[in-house]
Amino acid sequence: MLKDCGLYWNPILETLPQEKLRALQLKKFRRILEWAYNNSPFYRRLYQDAGIEPGDIKRFQDIQRVPKIEKGMMREVQQRAPFPYGDMLSVPLEQVTAFRQTSGTTGTPVYQAETWTDWEWWSESWCYILYAQGYRDTDRVFIPFGYNIFVAFWAGHYAAEKLGCEVVPGGVLDTQARILKMQELRCNAFMATPTYVLGMADAARNKLGIDPAKDLNIQKITCAGEPGASIPTTKKRMESAWGAKVYDHIGATEIGAWSYECTEQPGGLHVNEALFLVEIEDIETGEIITDPGKEGKMIITALDRIAKPCIRFDSKDVIRWADYECDCSRTFRLIDGGVVGRADDIKKVKGVLLAPTAIEEVVRSLSELGDEYEVVVSKRGDVDNILLKIEILPGKEGEQESILFRLKDQLRVKTNLGYKIEVHPFGSLPRYEVKGKRFKDLRKTGG
Amino acid sequence: MDANNVAEMDKLIQRMRQCAEELKEKDSGIQAVERNVDRILANIKMLELNISDVKELV
Repeated sequence: MLKDCGLYWNPILETLPQEKLRALQLKKFRRILEWAYNNSPFYRRLYQDAGIEPGDIKRFQDIQRVPKIEKGMMREVQQRAPFPYGDMLSVPLEQVTAFRQTSGTTGTPVYQAETWTDWEWWSESWCYILYAQGYRDTDRVFIPFGYNIFVAFWAGHYAAEKLGCEVVPGGVLDTQARILKMQELRCNAFMATPTYVLGMADAARNKLGIDPAKDLNIQKITCAGEPGASIPTTKKRMESAWGAKVYDHIGATEIGAWSYECTEQPGGLHVNEALFLVEIEDIETGEIITDPGKEGKMIITALDRIAKPCIRFDSKDVIRWADYECDCSRTFRLIDGGVVGRADDIKKVKGVLLAPTAIEEVVRSLSELGDEYEVVVSKRGDVDNILLKIEILPGKEGEQESILFRLKDQLRVKTNLGYKIEVHPFGSLPRYEVKGKRFKDLRKTGG
Repeated sequence: MDANNVAEMDKLIQRMRQCAEELKEKDSGIQAVERNVDRILANIKMLELNISDVKELV
């Protein structure tokens, strides 16, 4: 008997027992491998050099024999024909109907080709996300984002339409105009980066005299682009500011939208195991981790992406399987706390591994501090220095000594490091509209 | 819903695919037909991902 159709976008796939999900993933992995081998010169070279043919993958464990790809390889192939994608492309250029690119945060942007079928697939993967987060055809959804060459929120827009929501594209409106439009139209949901969710609330209160939690009708917010919605203290700030539920999702231009939080908010995100194969690899030994609780980097395959296949992509995202289940009864496994870091982002400072998300969690746990902060790591001689810039909320300045004592204490407990703290006037640290750039490592530039 | 229903849905999806592909063969190069059929086929592919791919596992 099928589970309640009202809870799931696809109750057949979302409640399929784990062993059947593995069988489905193996079948689909073999299919996408064969497609790439036969249609992409890049993948054919890669697999021939490794002595792998699609027929070699007979059991689930055989998947680990397939070579991984990295972002650097995606950049390199762009030097080859056909322009501008290179020979990772697996369809004729005339079948490409949309261009997207990565943000270029870690280097030269990667160009992404989409056929119309790929675009339907993007929307489909987002339908799983939005339906699990309670979006229905009675919702009026505002998207406060300047749509452009980046994939962000395009798929959210199309998926919301597909499941019957009324979508209001916020496009080139400025922040205040967006807030007023949300109020005028009584929108009850929106999608944004955590940085902008907090930034909009700040602008509403301080520039428009609007309290988002009381004067607007927002009931749910879907976040993307940054880890904030999976950092409990940042999530709490957003939910409190808007009087709404805040849900996380994780996706990437070159991968797809592969993970989402459901309305049960169990503390982790479901991996969409019907559309993606996620493997977690021990960073030091390269062994595949199947046990909960142990961190490793994610190797991911988009099982149905055609134009530019993404097969065993070493994403550098650090994740861990959860050791708990979700009350929603989805059988898709959970990753605990979302993406907890990046293999190339976890810094070694004073000989200690430091994840920037740990600092955010502490700063946003102190209610007397503003939402913004900045971390600057520099080197004097052989010694690393960490400067943390913060803002104290108006009216709380008199409590500075006590605030700084608690902040330093919690930072030491959470990160095992000492910090120099600088208090800046409220409103003076940079505000960001999309993704925040709050961690600056000046050591490589001689700072 | 049981395995029979999934199998029945898959049969209907395959009939839709066959119908769309036949229409594309007979479109005489009319872009208004060809491009709309392409979009229909993309949606049929999503039905296959949701139903047909899993039919032998239900």
